[in-house]
Amino acid sequence: MYRKARLALPFLIPGLAGILIFYVVPFFGGIWYSLTDGSFENKFVGAENYIKVWGNQMFQLGLKNTMELSLICAPSLFLLSFLLSLLLNRIRPAGTFFRSSVLLPYLMPSSAVLIIWLLWFDYGGPVNHLISLCGGQRVLWLQGAELRVPVVLLFLWKNLGFCIIIFLAALQAIPISLYEYADLEGAGFWKQAFNITLPMIVPSAFLVFIICWVNAFRIFKEVYFIGGAYPEEPLYTLQNYMSNMYSKLNYQNVTTAAYIFAAIVFALFGLLFFLQNRAQRGLN
Amino acid sequence: MRKGKGFHLWLIRALLGLLAILLLLPMIQTFLYSFSSMTEMQAYMKTRGNYDETRWMDTHLIPDMVSLRQYHQILIADNTVLRLFLNSALYTALILLGQAVVIPPMSFALSKFKFPGSGLIFFVIILLMLLPFQVTMVPNVLTLRDMGLLDTIWAVVIPMWFAPFYIFLVRQFMVGLPGELIEAAQMDGADVFSTYFRIIIPVCRPILGAAAALSFAESWNLVEQPLTYLTSRVDLQPLSTMFNQLAMENTGFEFAGATLYILPALFVYLFFQDDILSGIALTELK
Repeated sequence: MYRKARLALPFLIPGLAGILIFYVVPFFGGIWYSLTDGSFENKFVGAENYIKVWGNQMFQLGLKNTMELSLICAPSLFLLSFLLSLLLNRIRPAGTFFRSSVLLPYLMPSSAVLIIWLLWFDYGGPVNHLISLCGGQRVLWLQGAELRVPVVLLFLWKNLGFCIIIFLAALQAIPISLYEYADLEGAGFWKQAFNITLPMIVPSAFLVFIICWVNAFRIFKEVYFIGGAYPEEPLYTLQNYMSNMYSKLNYQNVTTAAYIFAAIVFALFGLLFFLQNRAQRGLN
Repeated sequence: MRKGKGFHLWLIRALLGLLAILLLLPMIQTFLYSFSSMTEMQAYMKTRGNYDETRWMDTHLIPDMVSLRQYHQILIADNTVLRLFLNSALYTALILLGQAVVIPPMSFALSKFKFPGSGLIFFVIILLMLLPFQVTMVPNVLTLRDMGLLDTIWAVVIPMWFAPFYIFLVRQFMVGLPGELIEAAQMDGADVFSTYFRIIIPVCRPILGAAAALSFAESWNLVEQPLTYLTSRVDLQPLSTMFNQLAMENTGFEFAGATLYILPALFVYLFFQDDILSGIALTELK
């Protein structure tokens, strides 16, 4: 550890300058936009934009859909990756192939596999074929509310691997002796999972949980690929609203919507960090 | 690892094997389709969207006749895909080069130095990491416009040099490095720069490899930034924003295009796979 602040400067300055110029200053600078009317004189209007945007139907639709999609995506990504990493952890070292094949999609450009996705979910495509072979009814996956299914699956396909890798790293760091001791004590699989595994991986699990939410809030990419810039109603996210307002040059509405969104995101993560702190203290 | 019961293990293996194949199938299918002739693929894609209850699409995994027509089309006859591909490559290369210069030193400063405000800077980086792109979209556009960078490749490239997530990732790895590394170097009389280049960078190899691979994936798949910063420059768009439009046109060469698009990502993955796994395993992700 170096104690002289002066020594850190040459390492710190370029990065810090960039972060300030391209992230921090724009973030605060934009607040001014959300408080003015965008006319030639650019009058200060206080909270007027916020009231207007909050009452806007498209904004409400976007916010509702973003929240709903996140509520579907984040928990399912978290639970699936936790379960799969538990399974993967049981079969190592033979798990290398599985580990590789779950991580590979994370590096793949999603638009390249999009055509395959549209083929799979076609009305006469393999997914419906499988459903009908199992005795079910065909579904119109590419229309209306059902469109969310391919979007969420594309999201899971892409993001599962990274979460699993973090979970696995944490699982493999647990000393085996703990389990051996528990075996001697006669504790069963589920008891071990909840009394040893879960408490040992709380920090990593928390990180995965955060990553799940961050990525879920950013689901615009998948929506854009499947639904385009003006997707059907069930897919119209807040980001669609902002992008469309942006292309209409309505900067006031974009920034206002952005800060409402940011406030919700920060409030949620603030709550999560608070709960994690409490849980951590409870465990110690 | 603990010994599970034999039967259970086989069940788990079968389940995971099935899942692995399912996850890889989109890539495999793309690859196989890329060797069909263009007319065959066009005809096949036209069978989509048929609402006749009695009909199914063919599964059609193996081409009727192996053909390189699609590749001929995208590589020689028509340069649309190739031009977009080169744009993507240019963005990715410039982004990664800049990140290599900016991010490791910044992470070093935030992990191995005690100075007032370092905690605050790190906190801000975490906050920025949580924010979706659109939150600072408009102010960013205005900043870039004032700097004269809007509608140039630099509007996409430069902000990515400071991407908070990678600073976080590398910093967390460096925090876990033992303090003795630096103390020993100091005792040998090494100054801070030679310590950084000769000791810190080499021991950080796994996380730098992991960060490079993850950043490659992000840069190769950029959507929001080019759509926002390059609105009047269609010629500068990368594959990631244009490919799905291209694919919708039923040109017959979309699968060769997709294969070309996937291949670099596949090579990067194969090359950095071990770094990703060990880099993440060794990072203090708390």
